[in-house]
Amino acid sequence: MAHAAHDEPPADHDGPKVLAVHGKVRTIQVARPQAEDVTYLAATKKGIGITLRHFAKNFFLPRRKAADLGKAGGAPAQQAWKNEIETVQYPEERVEYPERFRGLHRLMQRDDGAVRCVACMCCPTVCPAHCITIIPEETGDNGTEKRPAVFEIDELRCVVCGLCVEACPCDAIRMDTGEHAKPVYERGDAIENRESLLARGIRSTAAQGGLGPDWREHAPAKAATPASHTHAPTKKK
Amino acid sequence: MSETPTPAPPPDTVNLTIDGQAVTVKKGTNVLEAARTLGNDISAFCYHPGLSIAACCRQCLVAIEKNPKLQPSCQTTVGEGMVVHTKDKASTLARKQLLEFTLVNHPIDCPICDKAGECTLQKLYFDHDNAASRVDTPKVHKEKVVDLGPTVVLDQERCILCTRCIRVCDEVAHSHQLDMSHRGDHEVLGCAPGAQLDNPYSLNVVDVCPVGALTAKDFRFTMRAWELEMTPSVCNGCATGCNIEIHHKNERAWRLVPRANAEVNKYWMCDDGRFTYHDLRTERLAVPTVNGLPATWDRAIKAAGDKLTALRKDPQSIAIVLSATMNNEDNFALAKLAQAWKAVVYVAGRAPQPNRADDILRDADVNANTAGVTAIAAGLGLAVRPLSELETALGTGAVRGLVVLGDELTLSATATGRLDQLDALVVIAAHERGPAKVATVGLPASAWAESAATITNRQGKVQRMHPAFPPPGQGAPAWEAVVKLAAACGVKLAWTAPREVFKDMVAAVPAWNGTTWARDARPLALRFAGSRG
Repeated sequence: MAHAAHDEPPADHDGPKVLAVHGKVRTIQVARPQAEDVTYLAATKKGIGITLRHFAKNFFLPRRKAADLGKAGGAPAQQAWKNEIETVQYPEERVEYPERFRGLHRLMQRDDGAVRCVACMCCPTVCPAHCITIIPEETGDNGTEKRPAVFEIDELRCVVCGLCVEACPCDAIRMDTGEHAKPVYERGDAIENRESLLARGIRSTAAQGGLGPDWREHAPAKAATPASHTHAPTKKK
Repeated sequence: MSETPTPAPPPDTVNLTIDGQAVTVKKGTNVLEAARTLGNDISAFCYHPGLSIAACCRQCLVAIEKNPKLQPSCQTTVGEGMVVHTKDKASTLARKQLLEFTLVNHPIDCPICDKAGECTLQKLYFDHDNAASRVDTPKVHKEKVVDLGPTVVLDQERCILCTRCIRVCDEVAHSHQLDMSHRGDHEVLGCAPGAQLDNPYSLNVVDVCPVGALTAKDFRFTMRAWELEMTPSVCNGCATGCNIEIHHKNERAWRLVPRANAEVNKYWMCDDGRFTYHDLRTERLAVPTVNGLPATWDRAIKAAGDKLTALRKDPQSIAIVLSATMNNEDNFALAKLAQAWKAVVYVAGRAPQPNRADDILRDADVNANTAGVTAIAAGLGLAVRPLSELETALGTGAVRGLVVLGDELTLSATATGRLDQLDALVVIAAHERGPAKVATVGLPASAWAESAATITNRQGKVQRMHPAFPPPGQGAPAWEAVVKLAAACGVKLAWTAPREVFKDMVAAVPAWNGTTWARDARPLALRFAGSRG
C-alpha cells in the first residue's frame, strides 16, 4: 500500500494552464526551452566571467594568513574577493574547526584509571547507526559490579550524531576530542576498541552514581523556585 | 405445566461497578482481578495471581463506597453491588504517595540493574509519579551482592520487600528457604536460618521479583531486557511440557522463562528446564556428513538413498528408530516411511531419572515427547519393539541398515560398538553425539527451539512450538530430511510445510483428531512487552 502511494507522481496542485477544452481533450500551455536556453550561451558567458574573476583575484591580490581564515568576524563572503583568496595550503596550513565539531569518541576513566562505563547498553540502544558493540562482564567488585569486557565503536559506521553521549548516564563516553577518524587500509582498522578509546580519555570529575541526596545544591539554579517542596513533575509540560 | 424461569443470576457470579463500568465476575474473585477483566491494570507489587495474598505493598489501594478507608484491591473480595473507584482523587494520590515511599530507599541504579526495561517499579514510576525525589536524607544502604545459593544473587538495596519470592518458595517449591529479618527501613530479605536457596524451582523467584533485587546468575549481566526478542515455545526438558518463552537475540537463546498456562505449569517452571537452552549451542551437527566427513545435502541424501535401496530387498534388514526427544512432525514423517517400508520400529530416548520426579512439575521421564511417539506409532498401527531386540538384532547381524532419529540411542556398550559395522547408519539429529558420531550418513536437524512443530506432554496435550531462530549451518527440520530421504528411496512423501505434516498426522492419530495448527508466532521485541514480574 505504502509502495503504491509512493510510486504515484506528486500531485500538482495548480496544474498546467488550460487553454481550451474539447470534450475530454484539453489544450494546455507548456514551457518550451527558448533558443538561448538550448545553446547555454548565457550560462557559459556567466561561468567564464566567474572563472576569470577568480583568476584575477588569486593572481594579483595578496594572500591572507591561513590562521585568520575561518575565524569568526572575518571578512563577509561578498567582500572576500576584494583582497583575499580562500585556498589553504593543506596540510601545512589548516582551518580551525568550529567549536561544536565532535570528533572521535573517547571513554572516560575513574580515579584509578579503570573505565567509567558500567555497560548499561544505553548507547548501543540509542545509536542510529548500530556502530557500538558492548559485551558486559561482572567485576566481582562490590562498588562497580559491571563493566564492559568489550567496547567497540566502528568509526566508519558512526554518523557522529552524539546521541551516545546524550544517553550515557555515567559521563563515560564523550565525543569531544576534535580528532578526525584516521584513514585506514582495512575497514576493520577503523574499529576502536576499549583500550584505544580509554587511552584518549581522561579522569572524569563528575560524581559517579549521581550527586547523592544533596543534589539540589549542585543543580543549576532555576528561576523563582519556591522554597517549599513543590512536587511538580519534571518532565511533563 | 410450564415452569416460571427464575430471573435471579446464577449464584456463582457477582455484579459490581468499577469506575462506573458494570462487570460480572466469578464469586470469590478479588477486586484487582475484576478490574483487570475491564483492562484496568491497578498497580501492584506484592500481588501475584499464582500466589497467596499478602497485601503488604499497599500499592493497589482503591476507594470502595461505604468503606471509610481505602482498601487494598488484591485482598478485597468482590461483593454484590459493590461500587469501586480506582481513578478518583483519593486513591490515585494514595498510590502515588505509596510509590514515593517505596522509592525512598531504592538505589535507582537502573543503568547496572538487569531488571531495567522490564521492571514493575520503573513502569509504575512513569505511570504514577514521574517526579524528582523529595527526600534529602541519605538512603539506607544494605548489602549489594548477597549470594543466596547456586542460582540466584540478591541485591538487598533494590528489594522493595513485597515477599513474593518467599511465597514462591513456600507455596510452589514447598520449602521455606527465604525470609525477612529486621524492621522498618532496615528490613532485609535473606536466606532463612540454616537454609540456602537451592530448591529445584529457585529461579521462579527471579521471575516474580517486581524489581531487580533477585537476579539469575545464569543470565546476570549478559543482556538488557529491551534487547531481547520473545518467541513462545514449550520446554523440552521433560514430559511435563511447561509452556515457556524463549528470549533470544543474535540467533541464540539467552534465557527461558515460564509462560502462564493454567492447565500445565501455571506460572512456573523448574531450573533444569531453564538451563536446557545451553544445549542448543553444544556439539551441534551443522552440516550433512558422509562417513564422518562433511558433504552437501544432495550427496548425503544420495549416499543414504543408495545404501538403503540396496538393503530394501529384505525389509527385515532395515530398522527405524523413532525418538521420544524429537517433536511429533519429525516422528510422524519417519513413522510414515517405516510404514511404507514395513520396517521394524523402535523408540529411543533418554533414560528416566526417578529421583527427579516430584508432584509439582518435574517428571521422571526426561523425554519431552514420549506420549507423542506412542500415539503416532499406535495411530499408524506400527508395532514398537523394545530396544533390547535391537541389541540382539545387531549382535546376530539381522539388521544391516538403521535410520535413527535424534541423538539419544541408549544401547549397551557392545551393541553401540556394533553400530559402525552396519551397512548403513543414517542419523537425523541435531547434535553430533551418540549414534551421529559413527553414522554412515549424518543429516543435521533443527533442535527444539528452531522448529515449527508440536509436542505432546504427559497429559496428552498437543502443544505448539515456534521457531525462535534458524538452525546453525545447513540444518533443516528432520521431517524435511525424511522427505528427501524417502524420495531418494522411491517413496513419495509430499509435504512442503510442517503444517501439512501436522494435518496428515492429526488425521492419522485418532486421539488428536480435531487438533488445529496454531498460527505462527513472530518474535516479539521485549521492548514493547512492558514489565515482567
